[in-house]
Amino acid sequence: MALCACSFPAIVSCCAAASEPQKSTPFASHLLGGSDLGFHPLLKLNQVKKRPCGVYASLSEGAEYYSSRPATPLLDTINYPIHMKNLSVKELKQLADELRSDVIFNVSKTGGHLGSSLGVVELTVALHYVFNAPRDKILWDVGHQSYPHKILTGRRDKMHTMRQTNGLAGFTKRAESEYDCFGTGHSSTTISAGLGMAVGRDLKGERNNVVAVIGDGAMTAGQAYEAMNNAGYLDSDMIVILNDNKQVSLPTANLDGPIPPVGALSSALSRLQSNRPLRELREVAKGVTKQIGGPMHELAAKVDEYARGMISGSGSTLFEELGLYYIGPVDGHNIDDLVSILKEVKTTKTTGPVLIHVVTEKGRGYPYAERADDKYHGVVKFDPATGKQFKGSSVTQSYTTYFAEALIAEAEADKNIVAIHAAMGGGTGLNLFLRRFPQRCFDVGIAEQHAVTFAAGLACEGLKPFCAIYSSFMQRAYDQVVHDVDLQKLPVRFAMDRAGLVGADGPTHCGAFDVTFMACLPNMVVMAPSDEAELFHMVATAAAIDDRPSCFRYPRGNGIGVQLPPGNKGVPLEIGKGRVLIEGERVALLGYGSAVQSCLAAASLLESYGLQLTVADARFCKPLDHSLIRELAKSHEVLITVEEGSIGGFGSHVAQFLALDGLLDGKVKWRPVVLPDRYIDHGSPADQLAEAGLTPSHIAATVFNVLGQKREALGIMSSRN
Amino acid sequence: MRCGYGLAALPGSDARFFSPETSFLRLPRTVHPTRIKFGSFKVRAKIDEARKEVSFYELLGISETGTMLEIKQAYKQLARRYHPDVSPPDRVEENTERFIRVQEAYETLSDPRRRALYDKDLALGLHLAFSARRRYQSDEDLEDRGEWRNRWQSQLSELKRRSMNRDAGGNMSWGARMRKQREESSKEL
Repeated sequence: MALCACSFPAIVSCCAAASEPQKSTPFASHLLGGSDLGFHPLLKLNQVKKRPCGVYASLSEGAEYYSSRPATPLLDTINYPIHMKNLSVKELKQLADELRSDVIFNVSKTGGHLGSSLGVVELTVALHYVFNAPRDKILWDVGHQSYPHKILTGRRDKMHTMRQTNGLAGFTKRAESEYDCFGTGHSSTTISAGLGMAVGRDLKGERNNVVAVIGDGAMTAGQAYEAMNNAGYLDSDMIVILNDNKQVSLPTANLDGPIPPVGALSSALSRLQSNRPLRELREVAKGVTKQIGGPMHELAAKVDEYARGMISGSGSTLFEELGLYYIGPVDGHNIDDLVSILKEVKTTKTTGPVLIHVVTEKGRGYPYAERADDKYHGVVKFDPATGKQFKGSSVTQSYTTYFAEALIAEAEADKNIVAIHAAMGGGTGLNLFLRRFPQRCFDVGIAEQHAVTFAAGLACEGLKPFCAIYSSFMQRAYDQVVHDVDLQKLPVRFAMDRAGLVGADGPTHCGAFDVTFMACLPNMVVMAPSDEAELFHMVATAAAIDDRPSCFRYPRGNGIGVQLPPGNKGVPLEIGKGRVLIEGERVALLGYGSAVQSCLAAASLLESYGLQLTVADARFCKPLDHSLIRELAKSHEVLITVEEGSIGGFGSHVAQFLALDGLLDGKVKWRPVVLPDRYIDHGSPADQLAEAGLTPSHIAATVFNVLGQKREALGIMSSRN
Repeated sequence: MRCGYGLAALPGSDARFFSPETSFLRLPRTVHPTRIKFGSFKVRAKIDEARKEVSFYELLGISETGTMLEIKQAYKQLARRYHPDVSPPDRVEENTERFIRVQEAYETLSDPRRRALYDKDLALGLHLAFSARRRYQSDEDLEDRGEWRNRWQSQLSELKRRSMNRDAGGNMSWGARMRKQREESSKEL
């Protein structure tokens, strides 16, 4: 903003902010326009936008970052944290810059989580410099910000395999390295685990440090408080680092831009960051205790304790009440500060639990990430120089989007429909719903348990809540589903995205168990669509089921390309009725959910061998379509149930029914195809399916095996590509 | 008691509450309008003096129960009178600082929330000039970081002090008992 040339820069600078320099209208009248005046914008005027050091425009036009990997002389000498110990603080800063560019270039080639890793580069460097991993335990909550940690702990050369089959995991993983002391993926677990490690250390009489890094978003989960409460009580030495980037709720934006943080905690934290008037009172209080001092030592300590609690601002009081000593806020991008604080805390004996409140900026150091609404939280491959992501194009959209559109269509017709999610507006597609119905979409923060019971409360009042929670995260809320929803038969609808194998995120995000734990509940209706049109119908079905809870699961990925119902409005299905897709003989494949597509592919594989298979879509796991199953069992030699879930799910329910109905006493052979009894590592979806044995080829080979045609089975397996 | 700027201690000012000589205590810099870069010290000094005793209401020439309309009118009048562009050249400096004060008074009093806060302080006998209250509203900016350092440095010292006798005394937590045990067993070795 240009300042008018004037001999009193003071006046001009404070007043010019309110008026445009070119306006020559009477000054006073412009000022009296009622807008927020002068001094406020002045602060912004005098601020210089902090450009990250070492970044300059490359040769290509408009690019704001390097286009080719810059040299990293210092980082090249660091393979393990021990190599950092002799660096000076100045060198540490250089190391942080090099580490940052390394992260950016690595993620640009593989995709992954970028913004969070960029925010903790300095913190990672400081932690590894001050502490001695792996003896000292450093835990990274969620783990998606651990890329710099992995680079510094001996995995730099494998970073190009991040999130790929047989490559590095996208989160911390104990089996991968001794420096990853706890596996993470779901949030808010590190304080608990860290406390466990601290207590274990105490019981063994050892002296290492335990540091748990947790973000402000993860702090919204109850488990963090449970852990802090216990930590305060046990008083074991440990350090909790609250990485606060003001992004309480992720992804950090709705469709139109960044949204203000969710929940009361974030305002408490921001109050903490700026509670200067209160701070001065605290200085006063300290002065008082200083005066008392000397032999009145105990009393002074108590006064200070009290003053601290009363005056330090409601945010830190929260932590102090839980028993953690609060230090902060600290600039999380200033290595000097970080190193000196960490050193001080490390060398202090008997601290008990300490919480260091570190303020960082997500996406820091990469201009495109800093400016993006979602701060480049999760990205696919991109061009470092321009920040453009190489998003693949697809004819169909994701199941997530289809779900959101279906729900919007239902909500247009029925004003009682509301949607709830737990800090996953983008991931569940409910950001679309939010845009259309801002008053009817609830983001509760990372609190699945609360989300479910909250939905139960809504259902009590006659509303129709749709809880969109990933299958894997639903595990957290299981007791609430059983006790608060199913036991009381409240009509809460659960939309479980990311069911089955999920690809690059790996076993921490894999939705293997939801059929098992939902279908065993007495009152729950459990269904799964085989394609996107079915998904629309099932959303309508769920909306129509008003006397009991219901759920449906759908996978990660895009639709197969069937025609959608008109107006995105599905038609409710008849409950407990499946459908036959292909009429055949001898062998019947009964699929559940997305596995039906694999069944169809297997059937077409087997056609060339002269086998005409029957393929049926069960649609409902509970209540089962008894007549369909009876018919299939009676008219076929072989019945194979296929699902992308663990044992105890759809196949087991079918087997139970077959047994009870006496159908197993006849001549039909039943075989299940389920996920194997082990965790499938991260990788591409195709690789994972192959590893799990759920590809069409595997299904076809199973058919041959049951028919006794082992040679053909082997043939199919060896000819698949 | 209307003197003193903000709640921070001024060295040499009313010493009843503050002990200025402790090195442990980091007193914030005196609350002058640090965010507004003044052209000259002279102007600043003038403001220091002039601001001492006058409340916003007195400055605008209205009663403490003045309505928004009254505040607006008073501000308009004074702004027109003291604006540097319309004041005679020899009075520019003086009018400038008056203008700024009037400006600030208007800002505070025209915002109901800030006015409430200001009235509360006034009742307590504290006259918060310039930036003290404004900091409440402004976003945290880079200058905060310097203040942060003061804060966490004192927190660290406090931590060290506490840790001296943390494990002493009766009611010992689990952690304290384990630490004691560890010390004893390492002494035995």
